[in-house]
Amino acid sequence: MLIWSTAAPAVGAAFLASLVEVVEAFTIVLAVATLRGWRPAALGTAAALALLAGAVLLLGPLLNHIPLHALQLAIGILLLLMGMSWLRKACLRSAGIIPLHDEDAIFAAESAQLGGAAQRHQARLDWIAGMTALKGVLLEGLEVVFIVIAVGAGGGLLLPASLGALLACALVLLVGAVVHRPLSRVPENTLKFGVGVMLSAFGVFWIGEGFGLDWPGQDLALLVFAAVFLCAGLAGTAIARTPARNPVMELAR
Amino acid sequence: MSLLKEVGAELIGMFFGDARLTIALLLLIVVAGALIELTGIDPLVGGIVLILGCPALLIANLRRERRAIAPSRSAA
Repeated sequence: MLIWSTAAPAVGAAFLASLVEVVEAFTIVLAVATLRGWRPAALGTAAALALLAGAVLLLGPLLNHIPLHALQLAIGILLLLMGMSWLRKACLRSAGIIPLHDEDAIFAAESAQLGGAAQRHQARLDWIAGMTALKGVLLEGLEVVFIVIAVGAGGGLLLPASLGALLACALVLLVGAVVHRPLSRVPENTLKFGVGVMLSAFGVFWIGEGFGLDWPGQDLALLVFAAVFLCAGLAGTAIARTPARNPVMELAR
Repeated sequence: MSLLKEVGAELIGMFFGDARLTIALLLLIVVAGALIELTGIDPLVGGIVLILGCPALLIANLRRERRAIAPSRSAA
């Protein structure tokens, strides 16, 4: 029986995280396809998806052999580290301390890199283009695979989490096929902020469960944790945005 | 070989974005775990330490980042 108070955050986290990663992978695949056609782009993407599927098929059954509390603890720690890392980066980007992720700039950089490779290795260019697509999809896909396994495995929600990820892939492919350009208008930092909040909340929840702690309200505690991390992220962004007092400048006044 | 290296770097980068924050979080988890497993107090105390400690560490880290860029901003 599916409990929606747990399944909805798992599906939501998998969907949003996958959306961010698939948009990034799509930019690279589109750059390859624009320069060398869809054949090397499709072959590289298919090879990466096969490698990712192989990793899931190889590692998935191993999870059944790990005691539940140890699995929850390990996944909780990794989710918390990853979620806090995403949240921190999103706060720093919102505060203007580090630059925002720019899909148009990444598209231009990938195109220029492939163009440079074209001049050096004309004969092997399809191979290089295919490898570029493979690398882009594989590296972005690794995060999707981890998030799906992490938010799904601890509570028997692998299927709903996978559906969330597949839905994100389908959405990006559909929109990408229509607009046929980098999806630079996706509010990536806001999505990353939201995913960071949800992954951190899941992380704390699973760590507690892993230690054998019964959270008050059971699964509903996840919503409270998400609210705490949301407030912390907003407060942290506001603090990071405020100019720091510089003692040297103040002494000079 | 370079692909394997990049996959390894991606996996490490996924979990260890900022070394200070990562170490602080791991220490916090150890403290919370010790409170739950080793002391006789209500296990929920360990949980509260965890849920309040993580946001506090995040805010402290962001405050530190702001201070770190302050000299370069004022120089500009």
